[in-house]
Amino acid sequence: MKKSRLMWLSIAFLLFFGVCTASWSPSAVAQSEEGKTYQIGTDVTFAPFEFQRDGKYVGIDLDLLAAIAKDQNFKYELKPLGFNAALQGVQSNQLDGMIAGMSITDTRKQTFDFSDPYYESGVVMAIGQDDNTIKSYEDLRGKRVAVKTGTEGYNFANSIKDKYGFTLVPFDDSAQMYEEVVIGNSAACFEDFPVIAFGIQQGMKLKVVTEKEKGSPYGFAVNKGQNQELLQKFNAGLKNIKASGEYDQIVSNYLGNTKPGQESTDAPPPLSKMEIIMAALPILFKGLGMTLMYTFISLFFAFIFGLIFGFMKVSPSKTAQWIATGFVDIFRGIPLLVLGLFIYFGIPGALGIKIPLIVAAVLALSLNAGAYVTEIIRGGIQSIDKGQLEAARSLGLSYRTAMIKVIIPQAIKVMVPSFINQLVITLKDTSIMSAIGLVELTQSGKLIVANNLQSTLIYGMVAIMYLVVITILTKLADSVERRTRRG
Amino acid sequence: MGKIKIANLKKSYGSNEVLKDINMQIEEGEVVCVIGPSGSGKSTLLRCVNKLEEVTAGEVIVDDYNISDNRTDINKVRENIGMVFQHFNLFPHMSVLKNITFAPVELKKQSEAEARKTALQLLERVGLSDKADAFPGSLSGGQKQRVAIARALAMNPDIMLFDEPTSALDPEMVGEVLGVMKDLASEGMTMMIVTHEMGFAREVADRVIFMDGGYIVEEGAPEQVFGSPKHERTISFLEKVL
Repeated sequence: MKKSRLMWLSIAFLLFFGVCTASWSPSAVAQSEEGKTYQIGTDVTFAPFEFQRDGKYVGIDLDLLAAIAKDQNFKYELKPLGFNAALQGVQSNQLDGMIAGMSITDTRKQTFDFSDPYYESGVVMAIGQDDNTIKSYEDLRGKRVAVKTGTEGYNFANSIKDKYGFTLVPFDDSAQMYEEVVIGNSAACFEDFPVIAFGIQQGMKLKVVTEKEKGSPYGFAVNKGQNQELLQKFNAGLKNIKASGEYDQIVSNYLGNTKPGQESTDAPPPLSKMEIIMAALPILFKGLGMTLMYTFISLFFAFIFGLIFGFMKVSPSKTAQWIATGFVDIFRGIPLLVLGLFIYFGIPGALGIKIPLIVAAVLALSLNAGAYVTEIIRGGIQSIDKGQLEAARSLGLSYRTAMIKVIIPQAIKVMVPSFINQLVITLKDTSIMSAIGLVELTQSGKLIVANNLQSTLIYGMVAIMYLVVITILTKLADSVERRTRRG
Repeated sequence: MGKIKIANLKKSYGSNEVLKDINMQIEEGEVVCVIGPSGSGKSTLLRCVNKLEEVTAGEVIVDDYNISDNRTDINKVRENIGMVFQHFNLFPHMSVLKNITFAPVELKKQSEAEARKTALQLLERVGLSDKADAFPGSLSGGQKQRVAIARALAMNPDIMLFDEPTSALDPEMVGEVLGVMKDLASEGMTMMIVTHEMGFAREVADRVIFMDGGYIVEEGAPEQVFGSPKHERTISFLEKVL
């Protein structure tokens, strides 16, 4: 009886993930029609190569990719994961290729195969618009310099930091790096010229003070030895769109006529606060909806884990106790972020299977919350005086009936406050999954900031939305709790 | 053949041996009181009779079922053994009536109405007819224990086990519980009672067992154990409690 129920739960679990896999990757459908749909990774915030505008991903990289795909007649699905996540995605074969303003370097050539260069870039140094103290690298002595990890700007700054005596402050996305300089925490940042030129064109209060360093060219990358036909199509398409003039059109669409060492003059008039808020609201609300959905799906599975392992923990069987303790120790002991990274990048790399992002995120969240729910259920059951179980058993009731009819109804009342607490924690924890690229409220906020650089306003809105939702849910849960207590 | 038969029973918790070679028998309709200092193993012995404690060695046979044998369906045997606990252990989330009807409905497949009728009769018998719809939390200790007795009786058992049923009660409530137990005894119920109520044991018991240090030290008719105890440990115990 008990075993068959466990089996049904596991089947339901597998089915859910099956459905997720099928419904959340449109590639499965497209694939059967004609040829392969490539999964292409990109950065979330590397304007002008990739960024969000009006809720859609645009940029030089993405326009080039679209033009080349059209020219070469292949299908692809874009995965804006962030630069580092995309790197790992390609390495673990979660992705077929990536285009993310990625410099072709000798180190990277050891792990990736690159297309022909599609853009010649070069690192420049930018400082605050009103800063007149820094004119060259020499002026950086003893100062902080913001860089984005994994970029050419980082590598360049790192190579000269000892010579010029400054320290590096690494960030994961460009917006944070710019903000660091604009607010004056760091004296300067190093970044590829087109990136900074575009940012300045968007009204960012920075200026470029150096000439382009000779940089490595950008290339489209695939995992070493994999997807060679995709690489060839990219090269062929690139040649065609350069010949047709489409290439130049795309690049000038984004960079206009800004040159290194000069301030842009054709910045668009800045948007008012109200306009920024109104533009951000629909995207943030959608993100909030996703946050709630992931929270409830994850909690649903966390409950299943919790019920299974919680009852194993209080069961008389030593083996069951041992297994359940192992489950709790493992998933309570691994930080959620690490668990998410491991499931999404580590497991596919080791086993050669693809795990859809949503499945990985929900799995990480539900395993983590499941460990805590297990403890809540164990604690709730153990808080019930053992005389209750003895009284029920002495009447001739089976362990199962005694648990279901006598112990659990009492234990639930004890557990309710902890469950509410876990709901709030899991809701907030969904934001951690933005690190592997899950688009929920926090990630939606990050994407908007990447585009409009209004971090104070947007993150303020994000914070308020979390606060409001959590307060509402807590109040609701409190009234439910009062009712169960009375009943 | 006795109703309860215990042979060479041993019970240990780890290296701590609580019961050391117990042999005893209780006949049908017999009322046996088990007395002795705390830690003597008397509660453990009682709990071995319905397998709330697993025996370490030896045999416990109840109603011809060997309950120390793991193949015996202990739930079936327990239906015929009522138990009353020191701390009542009423189900706090159920009304008094539901506490009593719960097991018969669950196990004997009685209808709610049928079980309710029996339960009301039992409540009348323990003098709590007016408390049917109350919840345990609102009852006094003595009332709780009488409900607990009614709950155990609802399964219509042949044997009743009492584990210090009055030890957690205020003195003025002891009488009402002992009264119910006296009635039960006079109706011919087979009863095994662990108790500190020496007066009750003397009056109601057919036989008294004195335990100390995990052994049955002395047993016999109450007049004999209380009147002329043979063993010196019995004498010194009785001197302290009487």
